[in-house]
Amino acid sequence: MIAIYVCAVIAVYAALRVIIERNTMRKLPFLNVVSFAVTGIIALLLPHPITIAAAAAYFVGSTLESNAIASTWAGGIKKP
Amino acid sequence: MNDVVIFASVLLILIGMTAAIFNRDPFDKLISISVLIAGVFPFIVERGFLDVAIATALIAPLSTIFTLMVCRRVQV
Amino acid sequence: MLDEPIRILIAALICWFNFMIIDLIFKLPERGGVSGATAIAQEVEKGGGKLNGGYMMGNIVSSPDASAGTLLASCGVYCAGLPGGLFAALLVYIGNRICYDPGYAGTTGCITATFIVFGAVQSGWFAASDFIAGMVIAILTIQGLSSVYASRLIARLWKIRCRLLRGCT
Repeated sequence: MIAIYVCAVIAVYAALRVIIERNTMRKLPFLNVVSFAVTGIIALLLPHPITIAAAAAYFVGSTLESNAIASTWAGGIKKP
Repeated sequence: MNDVVIFASVLLILIGMTAAIFNRDPFDKLISISVLIAGVFPFIVERGFLDVAIATALIAPLSTIFTLMVCRRVQV
Repeated sequence: MLDEPIRILIAALICWFNFMIIDLIFKLPERGGVSGATAIAQEVEKGGGKLNGGYMMGNIVSSPDASAGTLLASCGVYCAGLPGGLFAALLVYIGNRICYDPGYAGTTGCITATFIVFGAVQSGWFAASDFIAGMVIAILTIQGLSSVYASRLIARLWKIRCRLLRGCT
């Protein structure tokens, strides 16, 4: 079962790209890849019906968090 | 849980921690803390604490949102 | 069944087409759904990418779209079969509403992916875990390699979509 190794390697690669990238907004797509990979790891570790809820809760929470960071960062641009 | 996944999760925690310490911009710090929490999750799920996982997954982003509300970005 | 690496790569291609086609149909590269997506698009454009590609990357970051739907559908089918995939679709729908997203790209992507993954597993050629790894590889190619080239690819696909199906501004 190499699927979980694939997710683990991609998670570490994306985390390294997050800290190497200088521009704050361009870090967010790499953070999104980390969330995808960790959601995959959660589902592959424990195949149980409730794991779907845990993986979905983690993914939606992390998406909401990135959305909040991006929207707050953008908050200073809109004023005329 | 095999060694590769444990090693990857520990790496995520260490990467997130060092980046959070050495970054200056507060938004970069918040992003690095997200990486750190991502590394903690496999440990919670592997022991079977799925209810703790669901609770943490809902509380951690909420605390980031409250942090952002307190320290709103100053207009340029 | 074929070898596992080949299965994962073929599953990655299937997931890539599923989420790209559904996102293009739902006009994700047209504009940013929330202010954060627009900010990401502007930063991608400053780095040398195309604006429409940036809009789609920003929309993927800000709200569960078809890529998230495909991943959660694969996890659902892996954990609990067909009902698991449909339960994941419900969770994606709730997630869309929580993130203020009025669209249905995520839910649609999740439902189509549920049937694709379940069919692939029933046919005996794939295992559900291949699709989980495949979807992570697919999102890596769009968000995780180079925002410049990915946004240019998405902008080109968006032009093709606008010519095939009408309805874009």
